[in-house]
Amino acid sequence: MPAGLREALARLRARRGRSLVAALGIAAAATMIGTAVTLSFGLATGAERAAERSDLPDVTARFEPRTRAQLDERVGALANVEDRSYRFEIEDVELSSDGGSSREGVVQLIPRGRRGYAVVAGRDLSGRPGEVVVERGVAREWELEPGDSLSVARLGSVRVVGVALSADDVAFPLAANPRVYLPEELVPAGFRARGRSVNLVLLWARDPARLDSLLVQARAVSFGLEDLRFATREGVRALVDQVSGIVIALLIAFSLVALGAAGVMLGASARADVQRRLESIGVMRAIGASRTRVAARYAADAALLALPAGALGVTAGTLVAAPPGERLLEILNELAPGTALVGPLAVALAGIVALVVAATAWPAWRAASLPPAEILRGAEVRHAPRRAPTPSGPFGLGLRLALATRGRTLATALVVGAATAVVLLMLALASFLGRLADDPGVVGKRYQLTATLPADRTGEVERIPGVAAAAPRLVVDGVNSFELGQPVRLVGYPGDHTAFEAPPLAGGRRVEGLGEAEVGQGLADTLGVRLGSTLAVQLPTGEEVRYRVVGVVRTIDREGRVAFVRSDDALARAGDDPELAVRLDPGVDRDTVERALGALGARVAPVGPTGSDDQAFLSVLAGVLRVVAGVNGLICLYVLVQALAVLATERRRTIAVLRAGGAPRGTVALVLLGTATLILVLAAPAGILAERFLLGPAAARLAAGYASLPLGASAAQIATVVIGLGLIAAAAAAWTARRTERDSVAAALREG
Amino acid sequence: MEEVLQPLVAAHGLVRTFGAGPGSRRVLDGADLQVEPGEMVALLGRSGSGKSTLLNLVGGIDRPDGGTVEVAGLRLDRLSERELTRFRARHVGFVFQFFHLIPELTGEENVLLAARLTGGEPERRGRELLRRLELNGAAGRLPHTLSGGEQQRIAIARALVNEPSLVLADEPTGNLDPAAGRAVLEILRGIARGGRAVIMATHDREAAALADRTVAVVDGRLQACPPG
Amino acid sequence: MVARQLTALMVVLALGAGAAATLIGGGADTDADESSTLRASYADSDGDGVLERAPAEALLDRTELSPAVRPGRTLALLAQITDAHVRDEESPARATLLDRLGAPFTSTFRPQEALSAQTLAASVAAVERLDPDATLVTGDLIDSAQANELDQALAALEGGRVDPDSGAPGYDGPQDADSADPFLYRPDVDAPRHPGLLERAQRPFTAPGLTSPWYPTIGNHDLLVQGEAAPAPQLARLAVGARAPAELDPGLRPQGDLDDVGDVPLGRLLDRALAGPTRALAPDPRRRHLTSSELLERLRAATGVGSAGGRLDYAFDVGAQLRVIVLDLTRRDGGSRGRVAPGQPGWLEHQLDRAGERWVLVASHQPIAGSSGGARILDALDRAPRVVAALSGHTHESSVEPRRSPTGGYWLIGTPSLADYPQQARALRLRETDGGGVVLETWMLDTVPGGPADVSRDLAFLDAQGGRPQGERGAPEDRNVRLYRSPPPAARETP
Repeated sequence: MPAGLREALARLRARRGRSLVAALGIAAAATMIGTAVTLSFGLATGAERAAERSDLPDVTARFEPRTRAQLDERVGALANVEDRSYRFEIEDVELSSDGGSSREGVVQLIPRGRRGYAVVAGRDLSGRPGEVVVERGVAREWELEPGDSLSVARLGSVRVVGVALSADDVAFPLAANPRVYLPEELVPAGFRARGRSVNLVLLWARDPARLDSLLVQARAVSFGLEDLRFATREGVRALVDQVSGIVIALLIAFSLVALGAAGVMLGASARADVQRRLESIGVMRAIGASRTRVAARYAADAALLALPAGALGVTAGTLVAAPPGERLLEILNELAPGTALVGPLAVALAGIVALVVAATAWPAWRAASLPPAEILRGAEVRHAPRRAPTPSGPFGLGLRLALATRGRTLATALVVGAATAVVLLMLALASFLGRLADDPGVVGKRYQLTATLPADRTGEVERIPGVAAAAPRLVVDGVNSFELGQPVRLVGYPGDHTAFEAPPLAGGRRVEGLGEAEVGQGLADTLGVRLGSTLAVQLPTGEEVRYRVVGVVRTIDREGRVAFVRSDDALARAGDDPELAVRLDPGVDRDTVERALGALGARVAPVGPTGSDDQAFLSVLAGVLRVVAGVNGLICLYVLVQALAVLATERRRTIAVLRAGGAPRGTVALVLLGTATLILVLAAPAGILAERFLLGPAAARLAAGYASLPLGASAAQIATVVIGLGLIAAAAAAWTARRTERDSVAAALREG
Repeated sequence: MEEVLQPLVAAHGLVRTFGAGPGSRRVLDGADLQVEPGEMVALLGRSGSGKSTLLNLVGGIDRPDGGTVEVAGLRLDRLSERELTRFRARHVGFVFQFFHLIPELTGEENVLLAARLTGGEPERRGRELLRRLELNGAAGRLPHTLSGGEQQRIAIARALVNEPSLVLADEPTGNLDPAAGRAVLEILRGIARGGRAVIMATHDREAAALADRTVAVVDGRLQACPPG
Repeated sequence: MVARQLTALMVVLALGAGAAATLIGGGADTDADESSTLRASYADSDGDGVLERAPAEALLDRTELSPAVRPGRTLALLAQITDAHVRDEESPARATLLDRLGAPFTSTFRPQEALSAQTLAASVAAVERLDPDATLVTGDLIDSAQANELDQALAALEGGRVDPDSGAPGYDGPQDADSADPFLYRPDVDAPRHPGLLERAQRPFTAPGLTSPWYPTIGNHDLLVQGEAAPAPQLARLAVGARAPAELDPGLRPQGDLDDVGDVPLGRLLDRALAGPTRALAPDPRRRHLTSSELLERLRAATGVGSAGGRLDYAFDVGAQLRVIVLDLTRRDGGSRGRVAPGQPGWLEHQLDRAGERWVLVASHQPIAGSSGGARILDALDRAPRVVAALSGHTHESSVEPRRSPTGGYWLIGTPSLADYPQQARALRLRETDGGGVVLETWMLDTVPGGPADVSRDLAFLDAQGGRPQGERGAPEDRNVRLYRSPPPAARETP
């Protein structure tokens, strides 16, 4: 072991307690960073990874069944096609196993050739009878493994030989239908429709960059294919994102914010440590070491500490975040990064070490710049103090001490402010998610129920006591004509829709007649649609409808890929069974109205405002966010304790003088409380304002960049946080005062 | 007939060692000291001889490794840290060579901060003391704007404001010019005449000459010095 | 040191000058290179749907009729342009909306149709660079028997101002950006995007024209509306009228095969379409349909060929050694398939006799073999001693087939169109060979690059109903080939 390393280790061992505390601090911050990196990297790259691994086709087309020859005629005429696969997909198949069953299973009959899925367990179909490959979500949900048996309606029992990941949709059960794959050749003809054996085509493009050209040609040859729907990789991505929507984006937003706070905190704690070791810096300089050497030695010590602590923390963070992150990715049918994480984590670790080293070397360098005698004497004050209009007494002294080190006070206030802002953000997010699960009015929807009844019964529904208004609501999922594959949801009302749905207007005006549309910001951004331009949507019926864009709204439904229009014939032809949107009077008991609607023969459903129906998921997430807020509170405590400890070390003599004069622990604590209070007086308002005007809107924009979410913390939350900060300050002051008692007064007063 | 007063300070067999292992130094090796109220005793010795250490032990800001200290009837070695702190507030006042005034507080605030440690109209006591020490001008200024003499007199006011029975001065004139130094010594003598005990550690023989008696610290023990 | 620097400077300058010269001045020689596939061709080698420059295609020997013999003196150099389908894409008398029904309507719309005049002009420019003795234009010069289509086509061939626009100034047709129809390529919005293409396509331009004499053939699209229907009053009214069909009759959606729809006369289909929603457009009297006599009159005025009779059968000589006989196989009463008129075989035999020692090329629009009554023509050709080849278009496909006959056989050559990919014309060089035979060297000519014809070619390649999926480019042995023909038996017997 080289001598320098041995010395450094000896130094660390000599101040074991301090080193341990510092290491813990670094590890804690590194844990946060590790969590953030794991989650963000996984979420950001998961979809692409899954698409690559599962050989996701560039275009998927579904339509009413045709013969293979008819399909080949059309598909064969397309340029830029590298490969194709014709399949038959059967819906509403009854699947059952020991672990679960469903009446709405989807069976895809796979011919020889390219798969479009990746086998993640077991093996692929071999062509022998009685085999089935199940989708990963199904396998997880129903606890199926290769070797288990599955019962498929009309086929009997088949054996699961493999589990497949197909990245073209989210996983069951988030997607409504469990999906399995059977070999085409061995399925009896009874499963197919009289010789027309293809209703699904997978296309792989030779040059995916020219996909839109391929789609234009595909549409040109698709006339006569009924119920045609295109899905592209990008469109699938949009679909997958839609389903989890806001949840994922918020997680990423949190990760970024946490990353920032952790970084700031690391820097501050490293600086505090240097302050504590001013004495040895003085000695080094007195014996002739150069500034660089002094700084380098501290940098080396810091690196020696930061590397294992950081590595430990990052690893811990990854281990903590990996299981929930993987679960999330599984739900989304994406792939976890696996070993690909090593790269970003190594970069994060390097960043942590670099930050700690820089943060240590810089103050050490600055301290070493003073004349050695001054350092040794422990010159307490660098510059002459000025009179400050603070109350006299210990508390006032504490305030003045904080003012005397303006730089450090500000830096500490900055960190505490940042942590406060993060705490407020987490609390606001948590309560927002909680409200989201319960009250759809949060994001612009004003109706609470939908009832499947024909439009002509609207009057009956409106006469139910408790119902404020009802209107037929047409929902048609189409595909944008100009850029095929982009899903567009058309929501049509016969009249003014703002009584039922009123997402805030970002520009333009409301729809006033036929042929006009209010588009969500997400749609406007994706399609480059402006006020006054034309929105053309291809309906599932093959018709194209066009609207003039008169307004742009902020909505998070379907990530903003929604357009509100007046219902017309084309829409009516394309829509599913009509449903009525029912708005209730405020304070009315929902169950009563639901019963009354049921009596009219309607199927009633409550309204879910986001794409995700998983309410339990949302409340769990809210709980997680609150825990994170608590953790951030601990960070505030840690930072304050650090700051006060530095102060106690720096002003060791002052405190010793107080104690020599007979000041009890309480007086010392009061002094420290004064310092802490000044820090908080700066930090708290800064943090509150930062959350309200910076973090909140930024997180909302990151999360749902096309919608304005109400993410400001409430007054109650602010009050809670302020009180919490006060308690933290008191605790920090008390604890630091207690620790100063261990210091020998005589030693502190010792003169050189 | 003379009343035999109990000595205010009674220290027996004080031992204090610094450092550990082969590098340790036994600074005090069985030191004895007795001081009566109204007495001003000078501790004479070179730097590092242990006189400051002895002051610290008597003043309760350091604990001996051996021996006992009794001040104002209290056995310091039997007191807890909290009790020691209270003892210091009531019975001891320190004066240091480098004054050790808190730089952010004015002279008056420095004194009042100490005064608040005990009750009983701290403002009145503080201001009265400052007036008596002719520090009205210095009271409202920050220490770094004051001369050395003014700073030390503020320090003395701080030491006296809680009316301690014992005043411990560690090289009080070490940082002062001769005139200021003499003024401070006069004040200390006045304090002793007023009935308090004053122990002053110094290496200056001339300063020591102003005390009632001088004790030298030699090899960790105290020896009385003949007057002269 | 200074000398070395100066030398280096001069070398650099010389290289630079040379490069500049090559770029600027060398153009003249390389222009001919650009369109001849003997120098370079276009191909999509990576399968991504985009044509790129590809290596030249060397001439392949076709020796089915005769072994390869060393070629000698050039007897004649000809070019063949066929099936230009110059189209008035804005005309209301078009069944564009039927295109999506698939065959047999796939030619009613082409993504590149607005550029038909420009494509013809670019092909003419390529032929000009070849500098042939004569150019054969073997039919379907225009697309739908409209007078203004003929105006554009003749201007492109003869030289002069070509005005592709019709109706109101600018483009007003089915490919408009505002169009609701998702099945027709809209260059302003659909990929590959070419914003402003349609407006540019309507702008008049000057065509240099052919300097060599050119010889027309009548094709079905030259006389019949959309190549199928004889001009009739209702169609005529439609053509010059102010309304066009805007929506496809829902009843026309194909249920399975389209045979039943294909049999319905075009006029009736258009009537049904007109009964539905229509859109207004500016009427244009120049869109009137040409009568047969009008067409023949104008062709005669342009080229000097054609008799006073109703058919365009004629013959002409190229040099002293070659006679070209042109046959008119187009029905006048409707239908795209060729039909041999009653007197034609006799007239042909007469022409063949009069040809004497000359070699004979026969040209028609429709391939003789697929035409009704074509067997008699082929019979006559089989018996003639010196027929080298029968050229045709109509199929839009490049094909070269040997036809054996007792007199040595001849070649049946099909040439692709300018309307669909590959948008190529044919160069034909007749050379005598040792021993008294001939070899007909033929190679394809792309349109001259560097103009709207390039976009036309790219769009034509992508067209899923066009020449690429149909394989109209043919195999290499259908394109750049040496077609050997041994001397006729009588000549062989002479010592």
